[in-house]
Amino acid sequence: MYENIASNRRRTAYIIAIFIIFIAAIGFAIGYYIDYRYGISSSYSILFMIFALMFAVFASFGSYYYSDKIVISMTGAVPLTREEDPRIFYMVEGLSIAAGIPMPKIYVMEEQGMNAFATGRNPQNGAIVLTRGLIRNLDDEELKGVIAHELSHIKNFDILLGTIIVILVGMVTIISNIFFRSFLFGGGRRSSSSKSPGGGLFGLIFLIIGLILIVLSPVVAMIIRFAISRQREFLADSNGALITRYPAGLANALKKISAYSEVRVANNATEHMFIASPFGKNTRVALSGLFRSHPPVEERIRRLEKMALGVGLKNDSEIKKEIS
Amino acid sequence: MLIAILAPIIAVVAIIIILLLAGIGIYNSIISMRNRVDNAWSQIDVQLRKRYDLIPNLVETVKGYAAHERETLQKVIQARTMGIDAKTVEEQAKAENMITSTLKSLFAVAEQYPNLKADQHFSRLMEQLNGIESNIAYARQFYNDSVYQFNTKIQTFPGNIFAGWFKFMIRDYFEIEEPAAREPVKVQF
Repeated sequence: MYENIASNRRRTAYIIAIFIIFIAAIGFAIGYYIDYRYGISSSYSILFMIFALMFAVFASFGSYYYSDKIVISMTGAVPLTREEDPRIFYMVEGLSIAAGIPMPKIYVMEEQGMNAFATGRNPQNGAIVLTRGLIRNLDDEELKGVIAHELSHIKNFDILLGTIIVILVGMVTIISNIFFRSFLFGGGRRSSSSKSPGGGLFGLIFLIIGLILIVLSPVVAMIIRFAISRQREFLADSNGALITRYPAGLANALKKISAYSEVRVANNATEHMFIASPFGKNTRVALSGLFRSHPPVEERIRRLEKMALGVGLKNDSEIKKEIS
Repeated sequence: MLIAILAPIIAVVAIIIILLLAGIGIYNSIISMRNRVDNAWSQIDVQLRKRYDLIPNLVETVKGYAAHERETLQKVIQARTMGIDAKTVEEQAKAENMITSTLKSLFAVAEQYPNLKADQHFSRLMEQLNGIESNIAYARQFYNDSVYQFNTKIQTFPGNIFAGWFKFMIRDYFEIEEPAAREPVKVQF
């Protein structure tokens, strides 16, 4: 447990360091190219690098302190009050006492698919997000299983790493898009109309950087997959089952969830945070296996069933009847 | 010559330093486990206080409809006072079991008064009480888990050596009685 917390903190520091170096390198490359092309001295490369460094450091600090709010607003989740749904409120309160962490904030996503995730930088600033479909379709024991799973992510500091990755990787993706599009649309048009050498030059620089970033983006995706080991889902499952003392609750919940776990607002950057893949079973088949962020649901259920020794487990037909 | 004299000394010093570092690590982990037990206990305490605050309110409400059930009400108040005065974990656990059982008989009494059952204030109090009771159960689970880890740590090697030196004492579990579960099953023919 405590080794996990230390390892998550270490990995977060690595990710931030890689991000800062990466952004600074881009700044240096732009400055160096300008110096080389116009032969102005070497001041531009240093200047651009310092700007990029400052930007990267600010962005890292910002994503450390505000990442949870950014992620929550990205998914459009709204806070849940005690009056609105006392059932969920009491469940989260009780289970966080059992887990020995402060009670996290609760948010609801207006989505029909059944899914959930947790975010925040530490247990004191934790938050869990549930979809409307999850609250509607799961019974008490199953919901407790899911909530306990998310609480153990909070307790393990999995949320810190997961949330920072969403923001920093998202930023790299946005920057690469800006570079690429500014060539295709802005830079390209200007050079053809006015034939000014500057426009064409900058367009070329942006194209090159954009292309480099696009080539690198699978590498970035690989970094995510390596940083977020699939092992942690198993770990959160078993820790969650320890909190509820009822592994069958989570096992039954996973059976139901796997039938319909799609979340419309989820994307490649946020995918790894959810309890089950928000793309469902059908999409991204080509990437599954090698690049899958979640272990197969069947394997997770099997491990939970081993813990439960079959007590309280429902069969598939029973669950199908409950969902419909 | 010099190396031949120094080598054993350096080896001994190195071993002492390693042992010292390991000792510090073990001592710190025991202390943090003990703090977790204390923290878990204060979590139980928070929930128990909530229940103590609720009981006078509940008793007053019941009194309004069923004033002559004095004996039952008196028992609830007594159990509450016992809980507040409790000093040790064992005393506290005993008092809490009493509160739970007296509350149960209070609810059994309430069943006989339809007006009381229909009272909105009463049903809200009941809902709050149910929430607190389940929180107490969760807090007890966390406390007992923490006690288990702490006790195991100071009873097994090498923690037991430190427990002897620094006088770490094992902690009591917060146990509940479930008389119904312990009684032998009666079979009638």
